[in-house]
Amino acid sequence: MKPLTRSELRLSLYLEEEQKLWREMLAGDVTAFEHLIDRTYDLLFHYGTKFNSDRELIKDCIQDVFLGVWEKKDALNPEIPPKPYLLASLRRRLHRLASRLRMDCMDYYTETDIVFDLEFSAEYQLIESENDRLLASRMTEMLNELPKRQKEAVFLRFYNDMEREEIALVMDIQPQSVSNLLQEAFKFIKLHWKAIVSLVLALPF
Amino acid sequence: MDRYRDFSLGEFVWDKSFRNWVLNPTREDDETWQNWLAAHPEKRETVERARQLVLSIRPANASLSNPEKRKAVERIVERLEARNADRSEERQLPWYTGRMVRIAAMLVLLAGFAWLFWLHHQEPKVIGYDQLVAGVKEEMRETVNTTGRPLMINLEDGSRITLDPGSKMSYPAHFNGGSQRQVFLSGKAFFDIAKDPSKPFFVYANELVTKVLGTSFTVRSFANEQEVSVAVKTGKVAVFSREDPEAADKQSSRELTGMVIEPNQQVVFVRKTVKITKSLVPEPEVVADAGTAPNFEFDEAPVSTVFSALQSAYGIDIIYDKNVMDECPITATLTEMSLYEKLDLICKAVDASYKSIDGRIVVEGKGCRNN
Repeated sequence: MKPLTRSELRLSLYLEEEQKLWREMLAGDVTAFEHLIDRTYDLLFHYGTKFNSDRELIKDCIQDVFLGVWEKKDALNPEIPPKPYLLASLRRRLHRLASRLRMDCMDYYTETDIVFDLEFSAEYQLIESENDRLLASRMTEMLNELPKRQKEAVFLRFYNDMEREEIALVMDIQPQSVSNLLQEAFKFIKLHWKAIVSLVLALPF
Repeated sequence: MDRYRDFSLGEFVWDKSFRNWVLNPTREDDETWQNWLAAHPEKRETVERARQLVLSIRPANASLSNPEKRKAVERIVERLEARNADRSEERQLPWYTGRMVRIAAMLVLLAGFAWLFWLHHQEPKVIGYDQLVAGVKEEMRETVNTTGRPLMINLEDGSRITLDPGSKMSYPAHFNGGSQRQVFLSGKAFFDIAKDPSKPFFVYANELVTKVLGTSFTVRSFANEQEVSVAVKTGKVAVFSREDPEAADKQSSRELTGMVIEPNQQVVFVRKTVKITKSLVPEPEVVADAGTAPNFEFDEAPVSTVFSALQSAYGIDIIYDKNVMDECPITATLTEMSLYEKLDLICKAVDASYKSIDGRIVVEGKGCRNN
């Protein structure tokens, strides 16, 4: 077996700890559950707000997700990774909510599905060189132009450090589809990166 | 870390380990990267630019302040504990402990018992021996065995019937007319029927009809017993229920249709459930047929040889996985044993087990290739 690098080791320890909390919670440990909620809340909240801007609604949904997990803790697998599972539950819950709203409001919501709507933004004060600020601005524009599902995959992969299988679980698609989404996103990014860099370099200062 | 030597700005920005270090730095990561940078000072500028880009370009997250999050988490835990409390209260008083519920359950049970009792004491609609005999136009003779020993009856066609104590049988005085020979039985009898394919022989025993062309078999059908059974000693017989909608066809056909049973098999009709099942007789006997006594002495013989010897001696199908079990050699002297004793011994030797299913023996074993 290939030895783990340090950062992989750290990551696996971190995930192991999360898995431990999940197992203890399923065994009925409320304190472990509170730790787990505390650790995953930000991620769930931020992910949720990508689908719906109503903060209170997101909070309610997250609460329902956790209460639902507690409710059926006897039936849940202690070995599934908790983070993707929780994200997937939240996603499903938001979907259901949206379709119910759609039914209630009769075609008020014309979208067939709720969509992941993420805006990337750049904090320019973190960048020293004027040149790179321009680069960051172009990159942000490019990222925001990514198709929604590619954007979601990129968000989970690069901003939440998830593996292909975990993303598949969250987005409820095949791992191969995740690979395809990421590959397409990358083709897009690389293509534009070249154009951006050459453009930025060509600009006179 | 070697691969980073030739990384461009863009490659750093989208490298997972690099991003991890920038976005979620740990002391170990930081150490690793600082060491690497010290060894590759020419990369310092690129790395710094990439770091700034990674840090600055982020998804626009709705802000969630710490107190706000704390409040939300606490709310979940409170709800959860409230739910737990509810549940433990429920556990103290499950719904079925209520007095009314208990009384109602009692009543339902009583009603159920009453209904069962009524069902049981209904007059059975079974047409028995007497009704069957009364329905025959021919001139009949009846023999009743009131002695304590079996009674032999010789029929006109050469068939011999051994009637057990407490049993009775009606049969035609002469088998001259008609294309059938039919007799009626109440109780138990062993039939050794003379062969006459043009005139099949029928035994009517309450619910079951047994049709034979020429064999020997036992029919057991006492009016006060729960089961009616037919067991074959030699040849083949067909058995069907008198209630069978196709009974007429099965009777007139030249072939043996219905449930066909062979030596050492029996058919049991359970009166209560009106079900006919085929099984092996309790004590299978060697089918006296070849004239030579079968040889049950084996020396390092493959299982298949042993099974096929048993199969032909008893006329019973033995089903097993030849591929799996044939590697198991058997050395044994099995004469003087009943079939089931033989099977017990063989199965013990090869670590297998057997079941009697539908009048056949099914042997299951894991084989002994590892021995």
